[in-house]
This record gives sequence, C-alpha cells and structure tokens, in this order.
Amino acid sequence: MSTPLKLVKNLSDEENNYQDISKKKQKQPMVCYDKISKSYGDLQVLKKIDFDIAPGEKVALIGPSGSGKTTLARLLMTLEEPTSGTIKVDGELLWHQKIKGKKVKANEKHLQKIRGKIGMVFQHFNLFPHMTILDNVAAAPIHVAGIPRAEAEEQAISILEKVGLSDKFNAYPSQLSGGQKQRVAIARALVMRPQIMLFDEPTSALDPELVGEVLGVIKDIAQEGEMAMLLITHEMDFAKDVADRVAFFDEGRIVEEGKPEELFYNPRSTRLQDLLSRFRGR
Amino acid sequence: MWNWDYAIKIFPEIFAALKITVTATFVGFALAMLLGLVLAISRRSSVKTVAYGSKGLIEFIRNTPLLVQLYFIFYVLPEVGIYLSPLSAGIIGLGIHYSTYLSEVYRSGIEAVPQGQWEAAKALNFSPWQVWSKIIIPQGLPPVIPVLGNYLITMFKETPLLSAITLVEILQTAKIIGSHSFRYLEAFTIVGILFLILSYPSSVMVRRLEMRMNKSLR
Amino acid sequence: MTILYLLPTLLQGLKITLIITFLAMLLAFVLAFLAGFGRLSKFRVVRFLTAFYVEVFRGTSLLVQLFWIYFALPLIGISLPPLAAGVLTLGLNYGAYGSEVVRSAILAVPKGQTEAGIALNFSPWRRLRHIILPQAFVMMLPGFGNLQIELLKGTSLVSLITLADLTYQATILNASTMETTMIYSLLLVIYFLIAWPLTRGIRWVENRLSVGRY
Repeated sequence: MSTPLKLVKNLSDEENNYQDISKKKQKQPMVCYDKISKSYGDLQVLKKIDFDIAPGEKVALIGPSGSGKTTLARLLMTLEEPTSGTIKVDGELLWHQKIKGKKVKANEKHLQKIRGKIGMVFQHFNLFPHMTILDNVAAAPIHVAGIPRAEAEEQAISILEKVGLSDKFNAYPSQLSGGQKQRVAIARALVMRPQIMLFDEPTSALDPELVGEVLGVIKDIAQEGEMAMLLITHEMDFAKDVADRVAFFDEGRIVEEGKPEELFYNPRSTRLQDLLSRFRGR
Repeated sequence: MWNWDYAIKIFPEIFAALKITVTATFVGFALAMLLGLVLAISRRSSVKTVAYGSKGLIEFIRNTPLLVQLYFIFYVLPEVGIYLSPLSAGIIGLGIHYSTYLSEVYRSGIEAVPQGQWEAAKALNFSPWQVWSKIIIPQGLPPVIPVLGNYLITMFKETPLLSAITLVEILQTAKIIGSHSFRYLEAFTIVGILFLILSYPSSVMVRRLEMRMNKSLR
Repeated sequence: MTILYLLPTLLQGLKITLIITFLAMLLAFVLAFLAGFGRLSKFRVVRFLTAFYVEVFRGTSLLVQLFWIYFALPLIGISLPPLAAGVLTLGLNYGAYGSEVVRSAILAVPKGQTEAGIALNFSPWRRLRHIILPQAFVMMLPGFGNLQIELLKGTSLVSLITLADLTYQATILNASTMETTMIYSLLLVIYFLIAWPLTRGIRWVENRLSVGRY
C-alpha cells in the first residue's frame, strides 16, 4: 500500500488514449468524467455528464437540491457506482480496470489504489463517535497507510493545529460544536494528503454562526494551492472567492460553467438567474 | 432411521394434543395481558411501596426460570391448600411469568405518550381511571401491538415446559408415544415441525404489521 | 435446620448449572457472530443457510430442540451425553437469537460511518474491525445481556434430560425429603441471586462503555 505522501503516477498507454477524450486541456486532468449517467430506478439523476477537473483546480458546483451535484462527488469517492460512462482519476480508470486487454469491473484492490488520491468531507461530518478527535484523524494513517502510531499522531496533531483545534485532542466528537466537528473532518481527510478533495455541502448542516469558521479553514487550504478541490455548496460568496471555475447543475446536467465572475454577474440561463436572485434576496 | 408409515400413524394423536397447547397459550396470554397492565400501572403508582413492590416482583419473576415457577405453583401451593390441575397451574405460571415482560412492553407504550397528554387530561379534570382508559391506553397500546404479538408467539413456544408438571400437551404426547415404541425421532420431529409451521408464518405476519405501522406513524 | 441439610446438594447442582451456562454462552456467542454476519453476507447461499438455521431454532421450542437432540438424534446414530446435548442445544438456540442482535446492531451503525471509512480508504475488513464493530458492539450489549439471563434460566430445562443441574437436584431432594416449600423457595432464590447481579453487571458495563462518547 502506498504512503499517503506518495503520488502514484501511471504513465501507461491509457494516458495516450486520454488525449482523444480531453479536447479542452493539454495537461492531463486530475479527474475526467466521461458520459457519466446515474439512475435510481426510473429516476435519472445524472445525464451523460462530461466534466474535467485539472490538477490543483478549485471547482465549485452549484445548483438546486436534488440536481445531482452530490451524486457526482459520491461516484468519484466510490460510494456509488455509475449506471454508465467512465471516470478517470489521474489518467486511470476508476470503476474499471483492464485485465488482459479487457475492460472489467474494478476489484477492491484497484479501488483502494485510486481512492488513495481522493479525500472527502461530508455534509454530516461522519466522524467516528467511538474515537477521540486525535484518533479520528490518526486512524487512517495508522490503519490505511501503516504508519507507526507515534508518527501518525504527530501528523494528526500538526494538522489539527492547522485547523485551529489544538486543545481538543482527547475530546470525543459528541463534545464538539458542529463547526468544530467539521474542522476535525477536514483534518481527517487532509492528513492523507489527497490530490483532490471533495467537499459535499460542508456547511449545510451547521448553525449559521458556525459557517464562517469552516469556510475560513477551507479557504486557507485552497490558498495553499496544490490540491484540487470539488466544492459542492450553496454559499455563493464563498464559491466566488475560492473557485477557479463554477459549474451550475440542474436536473442532472451541467447547464452553465465558467469563471466565477462570468457566471455570477452574467448568468445566461434563466434557471441560474432564478437561483442567484433567490440568494440575493436572502 | 425415519419411518414414514409410523410418522403418519402417530401424527393424528400428536396433532390432537395441539388443542391443549393452544388453549394454554391463549388463556395464559390473556392472563399475562391483564396482569401485565396491572403491574405497569402500579409501577407508576405515587405510593412508593406499591411502585417499588411491583418493580421488585417484576425483577424477581424475570430473573428466575419459568420451569421452577411452574414447579412452585404445582407442588408448593397444595401445601397451603391450593390444588390446581396441571393445565390451570400451567396457565397461571405462563400468565404470571409473561406478565412481567408485558408490563415492560406497556411501559414503553405509556412512556411514548407525550407528557402534554397527561397535562391536558388533568386540565380537563378527568379522574385517574378516565385518564388511563380514555387518554393513555388508547394512545399507548396500538404502537406496541406487534411486540405483544411477538410475546404471544414466544409464549406458544414455551408451552412444552408444561409437560414437566404432567400436562399432556403436544410434547408430552410425543414423549409418551416415543417411550412406548422407543422411537423418538418421528414423534419429536413432528412436534418441531408443528411448532415451526405455526410460529414462523405468525412471526412473519407480525414483522409485516410492524413495518406497516412504522410507515404509517412516520 | 433443614436448610443446612439441603444446601450442599443444591450447591452441587448449581456448579453444573454454572458450567452449562458458561459453555453454552461461549458457543452461543460464536454462533451469534457467525450467523449474524452470515445473514449479511453477499453470497445468497450463505444468507439462505444462516436464515434457515436461525428461523428453525427461533421457530421451534427450546425444550423440543433439547428432546430432539437428546432422544431423537441417537436414532440416526448420534448419541450425545446429557451435558453435551444440553450445551449444544442451548448454544444453538441462543446463538440463533443472538445472531439477530448482531445483525440488527451492525445494520444500526449509520451508513455515513461506512462511507467515511471508504473515503479514508479503509479496506473492507478494517472498516468492520475499526469502525463498524466497535460501535455495533456497544449496541449489542443490552440484547446480549437479556439473552444471557434467558440462557441462564433456560439451563433449568436440562434437568429434564437427567442432567444433575440445580433444578434436577431440587426435584430429587423433593422426592426424598418432601420439604417441598423450602426446596422450591430456595431454588427460586438461588436462581435470582445468580441472575440479578448478572443483569446489574451488564447494565454497568453498558453505562461504562457509552460514557462520554454519545
């Protein structure tokens, strides 16, 4: 198993194949969704999405609830399987692997290899209630990366300090506020040094007065630069500040995408205009 | 090994004994429902002795085996002049034992009734009897009906214990048949299958009822 | 002082009762986990077989199972001594009930916990070991606690297959001394004195384990 620090570069023929698919950018994308669809029974939540994220790029996904933006992140985190289409991470297929030239469903080992490049922060934190804060953050370095406990705890401590929680190491999640919980969750994902981090509405479950502290931490991380981010959010000002690019989702499709200033000051679709006026009205 | 002719021959006799088993189950359950309610209400009594007394009684009965309780009722009570037939001793034993379990079920039902209902009843000047019969029980009982159903099934499966106090129910019948011929395999297998085909569909029904109620409550 | 005369024999029986309780508990515990996981297996055959085991043992009566294993099994060539038959029956029976405790506790761990485990790239085994089981185990305790009391009480049934447990010694004493009231009262009290501290002890462990965490 690779250490969390190591970048796995795979420069195989898959990368060459990739050039045909990516027409937009010269550099190999961090993530590439290719004709991704997802259905639950009759309900189609994603409709043939083509979408790329460049290394280090900060992309914000906005759109009404139920528009499919969360599903897009969950497919990448391998929490759900796409109905059709492919996803590539760092040039490698995520849900499939090639065995003797044939494309087959990825096994657990392959999924684990790719997952190591991805981190995720959930709307409802999903901290481990039976572990202390320190253990929450140190768990993956110890059990996934196989780092000795002392070293893992050292890493956990330094990252918890970074998110402003240096006095809570031995507390349990139930003793923290929502904002603190979410900061622990961010530290927990960050400690594995993913190449791309997914934020699934990280402030939607928080009391309004706690939103700021979490957004502040995310902004700080964004400014460090090297990690790509997919931010699913309803916080328009935040999206404007942090994102290099914003995509507007509606009914399982990307309706509009572009630089934040273009999208927010010059929305073309009426759906986006509606959404933005509702947020301004608040 | 298994002998079909013999199994078919003894089946009617075993099946007929099911009548005793079913009687003991239903009468015992009715008794348990009634006693359980009494225990549940007296546990909430404002008189401390009554509340603690019934709590202690519940703990004691729940923490001792039904079999020993049956022996006690059947063999000890005659010493003080109370003679009971095996069937009535069995029914009383089952009824008392399960009343302690049912009192807990009622309790959970009662505690699920919002505090405001008690206060509203008080504000309307209901008598204690009216509070229970008109307000609390009608609301607290329906949600626990599936749990009561499960206890009915559990009790049905406990009735073979009554064979130990000489009641000739289904298991005892099988045992007598078996001891005549020294062939226990068919007799006991038939008993097991009878229990299974009666209790399994019932518990599936209870599970369905439970799911449907959970849905409608939401 | 009839009590002094009765007590040694009863305590001898108590020893057997405790041995059976302990052995059957071990067996039931192992079976509960095996069958609990079996019912959640991704293989249909495993799910079906464990469901069959669980439903048969939950759907028939403990005493019927005991008689079947002790009296009927020899006819197909498997003769077990009373102790083995008692332990096996109690273990199989309460293992079946226990599997439901295990299964429902595992299912009760919120889905987000598994998802967080996946997001942190835990392997399926480590997710179970470090995330799901520690949380599920706390939820299993009340269920296991109740089953332990039921199992202890259930051991009294082995007296009916001539195993010299507490209840058996009491019935023998009753036949020889006719001190019926004293014997059966003592019997109830002894069972209570074993079961009640057990109930309390389990509740204490539950409280200890959930302190501060939830």
